Order: sequence, then C-alpha cells, then structure tokens
Amino acid sequence: MSETTPDISPAPLVDDDIGFVRRIWRGRIWYGTEWYITVAGGLILLSITLMTIMAPVLAPHDPNDFVGAPFTPPGGGPQALVARSGESPVASANEITDELIGVQRNQNGVNLAKEMELERERYQNQDELIAGLQNEEVDLVFIDQNLVPEVLEANPNFDVVNENLGRIYRLGTDNLGRDITSRIIWGARTILGVALASALLSSLIGIPLGLISGFVGGKVDRTLSLIMDSIYSFPGLLLAIALAAMLGPGLINVAVAISVIYIPTFFRVVRGQVLSIKESLYVDAARSLGAKSPNILRRYIFPNVIPSVTVVFSFNIADAIITAAGLAFIGLGLPPDIPDWGYDLSKGHSFLVAGQWWMITFPGIMITLVAAGFSLFGEGLSEILNPRLVK
Amino acid sequence: MSPGLRRYIVVRILLTIPMLLILVTVVFFVLRVIPGDPALAIMREGASEEQLASFRAATGLDQPLHIQYLRYISGVIRLDFGEAMKRSIPVTEEIKTFFPATVELAMYSMLVTTTVGIFFGAYAAHRRKTAADYGIRISSIILYSLPIFWLGLMLQMIFGAQLGWLPVSGRLSAGMTPSPEETITGLYTIDAVLTRNWVLLKDALLHLILPCLTLGLVLAGIFTRLTRANMLDVLEQDYITAGRARGIWERVLVYRHGLRNAAIPIVTLLGLQVALLLAGAILTETTFSWPGLGRLVVQRIYDRDFTTLQGTIIFFAMIVAGVSLIVDVLYGFLDPRIRY
Repeated sequence: MSETTPDISPAPLVDDDIGFVRRIWRGRIWYGTEWYITVAGGLILLSITLMTIMAPVLAPHDPNDFVGAPFTPPGGGPQALVARSGESPVASANEITDELIGVQRNQNGVNLAKEMELERERYQNQDELIAGLQNEEVDLVFIDQNLVPEVLEANPNFDVVNENLGRIYRLGTDNLGRDITSRIIWGARTILGVALASALLSSLIGIPLGLISGFVGGKVDRTLSLIMDSIYSFPGLLLAIALAAMLGPGLINVAVAISVIYIPTFFRVVRGQVLSIKESLYVDAARSLGAKSPNILRRYIFPNVIPSVTVVFSFNIADAIITAAGLAFIGLGLPPDIPDWGYDLSKGHSFLVAGQWWMITFPGIMITLVAAGFSLFGEGLSEILNPRLVK
Repeated sequence: MSPGLRRYIVVRILLTIPMLLILVTVVFFVLRVIPGDPALAIMREGASEEQLASFRAATGLDQPLHIQYLRYISGVIRLDFGEAMKRSIPVTEEIKTFFPATVELAMYSMLVTTTVGIFFGAYAAHRRKTAADYGIRISSIILYSLPIFWLGLMLQMIFGAQLGWLPVSGRLSAGMTPSPEETITGLYTIDAVLTRNWVLLKDALLHLILPCLTLGLVLAGIFTRLTRANMLDVLEQDYITAGRARGIWERVLVYRHGLRNAAIPIVTLLGLQVALLLAGAILTETTFSWPGLGRLVVQRIYDRDFTTLQGTIIFFAMIVAGVSLIVDVLYGFLDPRIRY
C-alpha cells in the first residue's frame, strides 16, 4: 500500500539541516523588503556591537588623553622634525635617539617624544620653540607640518629632517586636543551601556506589571492603567530631566532616569496582549484541566507576549539612545571622564560658529546611525513577527 | 447634545483630574524627597544654621512632608505654584514670561510637521509597496532617529555659520524687542501683524525658520508614519473599492475621498503629539537659545531652583492633559461612535 501512495508532501519550506546564517539568508524570499530592513538594522547593530567589544584594540588613543593640538582638523596632525642645517640631520626617526628634542606644550610632539623615549625640552609656543633651536638649546624640534614652509622661509638655516612624522587624527581633535576617533569608539560603549541598562530596567518593571494588570483585571488593572497612562502622556524627557537632575551624574543614575519613561510602553503593550490571549481557547483548555493561575501566566501567556516585547525593546533602545544624548546635551549626563557622544556634542556647540565642524558632525552621525539601526531592526521585526502591528 | 455625548465629556473631564493629581504627586516627590535638603542646595555652602532655618521657615520647608504636599496641591489647584527660590517672584510670573516663546515655536513647528507629514504619509500610502513608499518609510525612520539638537546644530552650522543666511539664536535681533505697549499676545509674529510692524514680522519670521524646521522635521518623521498607517486603513474600506469600481480616478479617490476620511484620526494623533512637541521644544530651545519654557527648565536646573522647576514641569503636564482633553472631546463631537 505504502509503495503505491505517491509522495505528495512538498519539500519542506525551511530545511532544518542548514545553519543559522543560511536560514536567515533564505528568509529574504519569504519576507521581501521587510527582511532587508531588518537585516540592514541588524548589520548596523552588529558592527556597533563589534566596535564596542573591540574598543581597546580599535581606538588609537585613550579617549581622555590630550594627545594632539586642540582643534586639529580631520586628517590633520602630522608633525615634521626640523633641525639646524650643518648638524648632519638624521634621516629616520630611529636615528634620533640621542638628540635633545624641543616640543611644544600640549602638542602632538609631547606624546611623540614620550613614545620615542627622547630627552625633551618644553616650550610654550611655536616662537619659543624656534628660538630654542636657534640658540642651540635643543637639536631638533617638532613642528606642525602645515607650518613647515613658513618656518623654513623665515629661517633659511633650518632643514627638514623628517616629514609626516607622527599620527594622523582621522576625525580631528576636540577643544582639549583629545582624539575624536577614540572618543567615538569608546563612546559607543557608554551609550549602548546606558541604553541597554535602561531598557532592561523598564522591561523588568513594565512586563510583570502588564502581565498582572491584564490577567487580574478589576481594580488593580484600573489603578495601574491610570498611573501608567499618566506617565505615558507626559513629556518623557521632562521626567528624565527632573530625575537626572536629582540623582546626579553617573551611568546607573542616567539609566534609571531614562527607564522611568519607557515602563508605561512595556506595560501597555504587554497588558493589551494579555487581554486578548487570556480569552483564547488554549488558555481556557489549560484552566479546565486544572492549571493554576501563575502557571497559566508563565507557561501559556508569557511566551506569547515575547514577540511584541522584542519589538518594543528594540524601539525602546533607539529612543533611550536619543534621550540619553539629549540629557548629556543639556548637561545632565555622565561624569566628564566617561566619553559620551551627547557630551561631546554639547562641547562642540560652543565652537560651532568658529568653524570647527568636526567636533559636532561625527558624534551626531553616530547617534543617528545607532538609533536608526535599532529602529530599522524593530520596524522590520515587527512586520515579520506580527504583520498587523505596523502597516 | 445627546446624553451619550454629555456622559462621554463628563467622564473624560473626570478622568483628567486623577491623571493630573498623579503627575503632580510624582513630580513633587521626585523633586522633594530625593535631593535631601533644598535649603542647603539653594543657599550653597557657607550659610549659617540660622540662615538655613529662616530660609526653611520662609519657604515652608520646615513643615512635615505631607503638610508641604497638601499645601502645594491646594496651591496648584489655584494655579499658584509658589514663589521662585532664586528670584523671589511668583513662579506663575516666570511661566508667563517664557510661555509665549514656546507657543510660537510649537505653533510653527506643528505647521512644518503637518505639511510634511500629511503630504508624504498620504503619498506613501497611495504608492504602497513601491520604491517611493519604502523610501519615505526609511527616511521617516532616519528623521525620527536624528537627535533633535544635532539637527539643530547642523542647520545652525550650515545656514548660520557657513552661509550666513539665517540667524541662529534668540527670537529677535538685538534692539528689535517690541515695547510693552506693542506686546499684545507675546507671539511676535502675531503682534507684528496686529501693530502692522512689518520689519518686526520679517525679523521674527527669520528667527523662526531654523528652530521650527528642526523641531518640525523630526516630528514629521513620526507623523508621516501615523498618516500612512491611517491612510492605509481608509484605503482598505469598501467605499474606496466601490469608487474604484465606478472608475473614479485613483488620485481623486486617494486625496479627496481617502484623505478627508483619514483626517479625523490624523488630527487626533496631532493632539497626542503635544507631549513629544514639548519634549522636543526643550532641546530645540536649548540649541537655539530660544527664551521659552524648556530653556527656563534647563536654566533652573543649574540654579537649583526647585519651585520653578516643579511649577514649570507641572504646567507642562497641564498643557498636555488639557490639549488631549480638548482633542478627545472634539473627537467625540465629530465621531458618534466614540463613547464610554
């Protein structure tokens, strides 16, 4: 009998043997554009996460070190070594170990000389530096590469020993001479930490309250809903400002201040879901078989809430990132020794008119990128998990 | 007015009261309990014990917390937010000074939001699942992901610092502030029209462009999505299909029949954006040195002036509650299906 029955079952839609990555890759056929939106968001998040983990390796400098001249434009910062001519100028950086080097205060050269373990003499400014070389106080001086032609013209007896020495600040330096590239890389850690912590806090409070409120109903539900709706209708940033102002600076404090805004979001979504799931047949079936309420809540209702919670979580992190940056911009963020994009933006604000565009451009792009990453991820995911949630 | 509608309005008003009470309570306890001693905070170090005691007595801080709370609530009911700690003037006066700037900013930003949001939202719904739709959806996500203050900084840098086309801070150029007799509403653009002061009007409008674009565009990101979702609901209705069957031109169907019917929920959603608008106004005002309520809040944080802070935040809550009440009541008038 079984031999004559033709095999009419179609090939399985999803092959269980293929790996995780390939299964995701196949998803594009089913979900179309939503898949691309989710994956675009996911890729942004993946790279940011990698950046966060690899920060010590990726960042060229310590984010709080004054490594270069203040306001070095992006790509700027290389130094030239200049010496008096007739001193048999050395050709490479390796050959200058015994020379006495003149460096300028708060300059790239200070660190360069430190790295090369050179004897060094400090000067306050460029003019003193050149005078020091003229008076034979030092053998060599570090000079900003852009200024070399000028210096050579004024002092014909000088020679360039080595050009393009030192490092390039790809995204420039800020008003204190800190490397913006490094601050951005380390800042990703800060902002992701704050956003994740606050989203976790809100979900840990909001989800149980929503479950209880929706499941128990009655007076508890009405009271909780009223409180949550009040907070929900209020401009969240103001509440966060008040809390952050009171709690003072600190990573946990900022996360707590932000988390309060989003508790109602989790509460409302979970409560709404519970209300509809509560009426479904399988819950009735479980109850008629004698399942206790806590068990029904845990094993039948909670798992069905997870998809929407995931979506809310993603949107919540996106929002928390923007809110955290906003708090820092107002001056209510983290202590100044933690690299923070929002704080950098507020610093850059003061120098905007002077034309130092790089101080505000890059941190802002990063905030937008990370927030958009979480939003895109949530947007695509919500359509994939629940096509009726977002049209 | 039908009994159903009357009942709906009464219930809606009664629901607003506990909501406000909850918010006042939350704000009061957040600002009073956590910081410890406001007297110490405002008097700074070096104040003697007697000075602190007299300050506490003058501001009622020596009373037990529940007495302070009841006093404050009874004041709030009479719209009396107490006296500003920093400048010994009533907080209500402070709010009155700064409020018109926020209203003006919010008004014109809303104009930007609705124009951009409704146009692109309706267009995306019309061209559902085309490249235009996805383009608009993704750009609205990106717009919403922009930190409002950063967009402001960028516009300031490009149009203010680099091109020099537009002013980047304040409501008016120096020396342009109208005299008290010329100030009628406190909204400079409206005052200028009323007093026929065209120079003032131009100056005020120029100062409004960048802040309103900043705030309006970021909110337009959300509003485009909401309009699109509502339009999609409407375009699925039977009468649209019927119209299509009769051969009505698609464009007329979408933008005349569809958009008009989507207008009610869209206007309601606009009312609900007020909370977001005010939150955004705080950051926009900080970026553009706009002398509004948001800036007042930020400044009083630095001054550690808790009464002003508390009063302003509660005032914000009242606006939000008031606007959503008005919108809901209007909605009840417009749509007979909405009843408790």
